[in-house]
Amino acid sequence: MKLVKTLLKATAVMALMATTASAATIAVIGGSNDDAFWNIIKKGIDDATPAVVANGGSVNYLRLVNYDNFAPDVVQLIQTAISMKVDGLVIPDWVPEAEDPAIKQAVEAGIKVILMNAGGADKARELGAINYVGSDEYVAGQAGGTYFGTHGQKNVLCVNTLPGTANIEARCKGVIDGITAAGGKGAQLPLPSTSFGDPTAVAEAIKAEMIKDDTIDGIITISAGDADSAAIAIEQAGKTGKAMLGTFDMNQAGLDRIKASTQLFAIDQQPYLQSYLAVSLLASAIDFGTSLPTFPVLTGPGIVDASNIDATLSGVAKGAR
Amino acid sequence: MNSHSALGGLLRRPESGAFLGLIAVLAFFGIFGGLTFLQPAGMASWMNVAANLGVIAIPVGLLMIAGELDISVGAMVPFGAMTVAVVSGHYGLSIWLGIGVTLIFGVLVGLINGYMVVRTAVPSLIVTLGSLFAVQGVVLGLTVLITKSTSVALKVEGPAKAIFGDFVFGGQVQAMVLWWLVVTAAYIYFVHFSRFGNWIFAMGGDKVSARNAGIPTERMTIVLFVLSSTSAVFVGMCQAILYNSAQVAGGQSFIFNSIISVVVGGVLLTGGFGSIIGIFFGTITFAIVNQGIYYTNFDRNWSALIIGVLLLVAVLMNNTFRKMALSYAPKKGVK
Amino acid sequence: MGDTILSLNNISKSFGPIDVLHDINLEVRAGEVLCLLGDNGAGKSTVIRLLSGVHQPTSGRMVMDGKPVQFKNPREAADHGIATVHQFGGTFPLMSIGRSFFIGREPTRWFGPLKIYDRKKANEIAVKAVQNFGITRIDDGDRLVGGLSGGERQALAIARAVHFGARVLILDEPTAALGVKQATHVLCIVNEAKKRGLAVIFITHQVMHAMAVGDHFAVLIRGAVAADFRKGERTREQITDLMAGGETMATLEAEIDAHSTPASAQ
Repeated sequence: MKLVKTLLKATAVMALMATTASAATIAVIGGSNDDAFWNIIKKGIDDATPAVVANGGSVNYLRLVNYDNFAPDVVQLIQTAISMKVDGLVIPDWVPEAEDPAIKQAVEAGIKVILMNAGGADKARELGAINYVGSDEYVAGQAGGTYFGTHGQKNVLCVNTLPGTANIEARCKGVIDGITAAGGKGAQLPLPSTSFGDPTAVAEAIKAEMIKDDTIDGIITISAGDADSAAIAIEQAGKTGKAMLGTFDMNQAGLDRIKASTQLFAIDQQPYLQSYLAVSLLASAIDFGTSLPTFPVLTGPGIVDASNIDATLSGVAKGAR
Repeated sequence: MNSHSALGGLLRRPESGAFLGLIAVLAFFGIFGGLTFLQPAGMASWMNVAANLGVIAIPVGLLMIAGELDISVGAMVPFGAMTVAVVSGHYGLSIWLGIGVTLIFGVLVGLINGYMVVRTAVPSLIVTLGSLFAVQGVVLGLTVLITKSTSVALKVEGPAKAIFGDFVFGGQVQAMVLWWLVVTAAYIYFVHFSRFGNWIFAMGGDKVSARNAGIPTERMTIVLFVLSSTSAVFVGMCQAILYNSAQVAGGQSFIFNSIISVVVGGVLLTGGFGSIIGIFFGTITFAIVNQGIYYTNFDRNWSALIIGVLLLVAVLMNNTFRKMALSYAPKKGVK
Repeated sequence: MGDTILSLNNISKSFGPIDVLHDINLEVRAGEVLCLLGDNGAGKSTVIRLLSGVHQPTSGRMVMDGKPVQFKNPREAADHGIATVHQFGGTFPLMSIGRSFFIGREPTRWFGPLKIYDRKKANEIAVKAVQNFGITRIDDGDRLVGGLSGGERQALAIARAVHFGARVLILDEPTAALGVKQATHVLCIVNEAKKRGLAVIFITHQVMHAMAVGDHFAVLIRGAVAADFRKGERTREQITDLMAGGETMATLEAEIDAHSTPASAQ
């Protein structure tokens, strides 16, 4: 009898030890299936997963079906992760008012949380997350402005087709501060909603500004699509070769222009790195108790220009950029 | 007729309000925008915007005169852009094939819209709201499925670029401006000089009486919806060829902007009244207001407010002229 | 009495399980005004719709010029010379007089290789046609129809019907929305149409107007012809009684009498 009891106890303890050792169940919450950005995030997750699995863990990518009922759906996914009793949660803090209570709940339940892509360092500290992995719009803007400055531009125009949105405003503010610090000057061109989505209206507005102010020698747009309009505007204003073009985010046409040297650069927040690093850091913290002093971990801005365009293009082909 | 009533007759036409509005905004931005606005590059700015908008605004306006609304144009513009970009950019097939496929899709959606409006009792606003969302969904879904991204590059050379998506006459004016002028002339003939135009006004004024008078109201409604969808797809296609890329999002502004142009141009929202020349002037007025501010020193943040105020004034003027036309009665004893 | 142009023989109409018209017999003669009287819901509108081709009868025959006819749509009825003028003129208020007159049958002329609407000719003919009916105030075919008075718009519609060769003119409550003076104008025009040999069917629930122009009267009560008589055979009170269903009026009068009898007499 005593022997059976001992054996049972030993099995239980061994089982417990085994479960504790293979404990890194991680949930990652992200955007919908047809969203190209969140498909790049998926590649980062997929590439980091083998290491997690090798250490006995698992990674689950919980994706929103669509964005129609955004905030409640995200909160629901967080609750699902908590009820799955995961060890780690990678979550973007898109809608703080709705998500913060649920994230705090996860932290209190003993789940290690990393904020990814949206939220920022301060929010991560406030909620008790172990890190923020992503980019900072203002810092990205500064990088853009500084790049123009070191390249010799003196007057940069930041074209904002979504005036009033906080993160886009931060981008342009960063650009202006960056170019000013480099010794030049910058201004924002806010375009009203009647111009949104109409490439002709955007292009003609940029052209008009360039004609009015002859000294503008740098244009930066807040979206890759707007850069296509800006490229034509620069031609029409007769400033080809004299005014340089940069943009936030990338698209194929923009990369082609960088390769053909008609566009100077693109600023990429490098989503592949966001998910790859977030998952790896979290798994390591859970399995081995590591902690990273770098807080936050900024994955962007990554500047794509003539010097790394070829590697970038092959990354795009692999779905990692 | 003495000269007094000749001037009165001119003022009572639906175009007069729109024309006066155009002169007013031209003067306003000429003063505040100065020489840069009045030079060819400045004039070309609003002409280009007006042309792209105008090609869509006229059939939207015709539908409104006939008593219907088409808001799916907002999704048809990116649909056109993306179709030609995927066929000729992503798959690398001939640009003429891309253009052909794009136009066929425009006609198809127009047929569906028109058929649903005449066969069901659902108001056209709701039908085209449905197709707006449906087409948006199709464009997003198919583009991501096929190209794995939401933006597709397109590089066109040769005659196709020159005809559809390039600048002419010294490089400031888009080819679309020529298309717009030709198309406007054709519409003016069909609506104001041929018999069919009368039918469109009849449909908008009193559809039952129109049908009883023998007018093929169902066929005409379907034709108008095909015109608006195909025009929107055409504009999207030309913009993709000109700007060398197509985006999934975008085109929404065309819905409101075309309705604004049409209403400023003197078309009644409730139907039965309006003119093509009026829509032409209304489109130009909107384009001037939309682009003129960039030549001035006004704070750009006030653009939207200035646009709103100027357009309100234009519409109020139109109302006054229309009332004058309706209440006109020759004085007794004056012949 | 003029020749019978159109007759309804034993016409019945049902919409699904609802019987709207029962066994209607009517004759419409050239140069005569047939007044179709009846309270709201009696079936007058349905009779017009059958005559103008909007609906088809469930049973019975329509005979025109001695031959049985069936109108599958309004265009067919119009082609046979049956013109309907509705209460609000059926004209297009935001159109010019000329265009509204020629709706669906616009005159055209050649402008080089293009066929265009002949505005001058349309205006000339329209103005002349209306002035022929005695409306001399209209002299400009470019004026908008909405600027005309209600009576003038009715006149325009009737003039149009006559001009395009109508043989039977159906007027649906033409005076209902008009004041006394304008109504009189319209009644004059109806007489003029009658003089030109048209058969006129005048639908109304206003007995005074009907008696002013009618040669022949038919009273519809709940979908059936309750009375059919020529001019002079009934008095105004009798006709009003018939329209209201006769007994109903008598009962109401009795009630009023009972309540006004002094208490001491009871």
